[in-house]
Amino acid sequence: MGYDVIILGGGVNGLGTARDCAQRGLRVLLLEKGDLASGASGGNSGMIHGGPRYMLTDPAVTRLACQDSGYIQRIAPHLLFRIPFLLPFTSARERASLYERAVHYATEVFFSTYDRFQPLKHGKPSVRLSAGELYRLEPGLRPGLHGAVTFDEWGIDPHRLCVLNALAARAHGAEVRTWTEAREVVRQEGRVTGVRWLDALTGETGVARAPVVFNATGAWSPALAARSGATVRMRPGKGVHLVLDRRLSDYAVVCSAVDGRQMFAYPHEDETWIGTTDDDCWGDPDDLEATHDEVTYLMDGAASLLPAVRSARVTRAFWALRTSLHAYGPNEDGLSREHELVDHAGQGAAGLLSLVGGKLASYRAQSEEATDRILALLGRPGLACRTHQVPLPGGEALPDVAALAARFGVAAPLAARVAYRHGALAEEVLRLCDEDPRLRLVLCRDSGLLAAEVVHCVRHELVRRLRDLRTRCRLAVAGCGGLDCARLAAQLAGRELGWSASHVRAELADLLEVGWRERRAVLDGDQLAQEELLRGAHWGVGR
Amino acid sequence: MKTLSPDVLVVGGGLAGAVAALAARAAGASVVLVRRAPGATALSGGAIGVAPDLDALPSDGLMGRRSPLESARRLASRRPDHPYALLGVAALEEALGFAGAELSAVLEPADGRPRFLAHVSGAVAECALCQRSQAAGDLRRVRGAVAVVGFANHLAFDARLVAAGVARRITSGGPEALAVEVAWPLDPADGALRPVELARALEGPGAAEALGSALREALPRKVAVALLPPVLGLDPAARVVERVAEAAGVPVAELVSDPPSVPGLRLDAALLLRLAQAGVEVVHGDVLAGATPGRPVQVALHGEAGVPLARAGADEAGAAGAGTELVPAAALLEITARALVLATGRFIGGGIVRRGVLLEPLLGLPVQASESGAAGVRLATRPAATLTVRERRAAQPLLAAGLKVDGSCRPLGEDGMPVHYRLFAAGALIGGHEHAADGTGLGVGILSGFLAGRGAAGSRG
Repeated sequence: MGYDVIILGGGVNGLGTARDCAQRGLRVLLLEKGDLASGASGGNSGMIHGGPRYMLTDPAVTRLACQDSGYIQRIAPHLLFRIPFLLPFTSARERASLYERAVHYATEVFFSTYDRFQPLKHGKPSVRLSAGELYRLEPGLRPGLHGAVTFDEWGIDPHRLCVLNALAARAHGAEVRTWTEAREVVRQEGRVTGVRWLDALTGETGVARAPVVFNATGAWSPALAARSGATVRMRPGKGVHLVLDRRLSDYAVVCSAVDGRQMFAYPHEDETWIGTTDDDCWGDPDDLEATHDEVTYLMDGAASLLPAVRSARVTRAFWALRTSLHAYGPNEDGLSREHELVDHAGQGAAGLLSLVGGKLASYRAQSEEATDRILALLGRPGLACRTHQVPLPGGEALPDVAALAARFGVAAPLAARVAYRHGALAEEVLRLCDEDPRLRLVLCRDSGLLAAEVVHCVRHELVRRLRDLRTRCRLAVAGCGGLDCARLAAQLAGRELGWSASHVRAELADLLEVGWRERRAVLDGDQLAQEELLRGAHWGVGR
Repeated sequence: MKTLSPDVLVVGGGLAGAVAALAARAAGASVVLVRRAPGATALSGGAIGVAPDLDALPSDGLMGRRSPLESARRLASRRPDHPYALLGVAALEEALGFAGAELSAVLEPADGRPRFLAHVSGAVAECALCQRSQAAGDLRRVRGAVAVVGFANHLAFDARLVAAGVARRITSGGPEALAVEVAWPLDPADGALRPVELARALEGPGAAEALGSALREALPRKVAVALLPPVLGLDPAARVVERVAEAAGVPVAELVSDPPSVPGLRLDAALLLRLAQAGVEVVHGDVLAGATPGRPVQVALHGEAGVPLARAGADEAGAAGAGTELVPAAALLEITARALVLATGRFIGGGIVRRGVLLEPLLGLPVQASESGAAGVRLATRPAATLTVRERRAAQPLLAAGLKVDGSCRPLGEDGMPVHYRLFAAGALIGGHEHAADGTGLGVGILSGFLAGRGAAGSRG
């Protein structure tokens, strides 16, 4: 069986490229060693942001990100939500030093420049707020601030963005295989001819043939390239985020960390996220955890402006390795967020392309560029790219939540969750409740998860393991940590996928293990009671 | 302000606190028990584990398993930080007998042998005491096949999963197990109900009988016992188990539950009922910080439905500036007792909290016990992540953190001496064991409650 291109990596770039290639008529195989979005594509800030930080050094990065943010709103409108930002001023203009005045002035000029990009992504223009206005909008900010500048960004569930790209790719004929690792890129006479793969769940192995291989494995890419005799250089940076169990603010707040780095505390769906760190990290990307130092760094930074984070419940931490173009010299913040396609022809691997760097917000443009290169390597002028015009699955129209709730007899907040994640397909999900009234069971009252949604995801969204549901429908990632939902979802997935009882138990144990890793470094305050409850509830799992 | 002057004040009304109060009462003391809310006992599966037989091999038959007392003895010799080691297990048999007799309204009498009860996840729990509703499901005692029953129109209980878990014990002499589905006897739309709602529904007239009749139809002849989802009524007086069994023509038993746990809530309600019968005055409220034996202790009373009548002085979140609000005198109760038993639980109960450091919030007692061995007084201030291990199923020192006690359940200060001779601790507040996960939690609650209650009554002067 031959393909035109084999794409390695089920992150947003690999999946976006698979979608684009498949839409343009190529025969595509995508291999992902874990689940979709299990690297940096899932473990990021959950924002399609324009990257104002890069405006001065990399204006092209900012322009591209803003423009593509506009396109993502067009193709997946249900998945985006507005996150307005506040950049507070910590010193008064009146008594400020010359330097501080310069900073105020520069900040305002800076954001009025950023405003020029905002129409591209349907953002609102920035506004200068007085201290009074600032505290009216966000009374939880620490006292003594002297106003702020606002700017506008978009939040997104990054996992769902990846899932939708996978579904779209598949709908156009691409074959997407998760939990299938590319062991080695096979070469013959200086050209790649295919990929040797291993299915991690079944143990099955094989060789898939294609003249072009696109390596979009992110932080795993240097190791993969090395196994195939090629070289990829990058600066992998570890970014950690903390999650609080509720929204503490309506606005994202730009905070200054102890070392002066910028970081954010911001509302994300029904939680607050705090992030991010950025540290060079040369460890095994499969074996990372958040550390006490990182947790302290983020909590201190957020508490410097939002003191209430100290009494909030930190439910988990998540992390990923972002890949930046290699440069010797600059510190982590000074690295470019540009991306680069590396052609390995000069290393005896003609037909092998690797992607380094890039931003979530620009994934579609990066994928378009990669697809253009792939077509060029194949010597096939393909169709024009349409990924900015064709909606992602469910992105065709925004559903009417109240109507859905009434029609299918489910509570409006539950219908809203389904509508957010599935867009126009929400009706298809909820229709399961009519076919089988048992699926009206609410598995998790914390994140509003219906049995029907679990069943829909298992049937249609490339679910092979229970833990895959963490990213499909937020199974066991909310403040509950899986207290109510884990066992029930395991039972449902087991029924759908024909798992034996011992398989169900093993998958449940695996799901709980992943959750525990995310909570270990943040256990404090009220979360300890939840942890105790969880351990009691699941004492039998794994026995 | 209303005042009370009992011999013994017990703070905390879970299993440990209730046993302490009942033991003190049995020794002739007058007792007041202050309780804030249902805690870990109400969230438990409803059966009482004392000590799992850690030396049993998978191939060992269920019949040959060691008694809970012998298992506790072995555990104590192996885990020097465990409360069984600190308190000794000499009084365990007496304590279990006492608790069993006091709570005989819901508990099946113990016979010294372990019971093996199936859990809703398909695991099998090893218990010393169980509820009457669970007793027929003891896999050691079943003669014949076990039918695990699920409701065809409710997805929360997977009979197939549990039956497969039970069947794993066949090689150890456990019974044959099969999965059976019956229609939920009430409204088919009840598929979205929660366990407590299902339990309440079965209490209604005719419901249990209808379920029993459906079972009679569905069960093959070889079935000796039917294991049902743990929703067989909240109130034992509704006799749901008995009514189902009568109509079905076979004994029925509940599975051990996960939270929200109907059997746990039933056990909790039984504690309150027994305390009232025994003449323990139960006060619903929050003890304000700084309680010391022999000195007045202030309690902020709760009104109906557990809502505090006024905010306690110290804000729980420790928010800056809060905490000066005065509690009106009508909402306060002052209790002066010669002896004090703390049974405030671990993290769920709030007996131990961590706000950057580990604290015992009521008296500021040092948190210095865990299973790590490297515990001691530095335990409290170490970063959380250094007190956990990567493997989820391993013992986690952080979650085993609590007070250190002497052999009489008296909490120890940093100098290793009892803080006060008439101050006692019981239950999960005592560290050195992970009560929610290591199978000894309620057993420690009973033993330490019994010793603390008797000790407190004995120190009346």
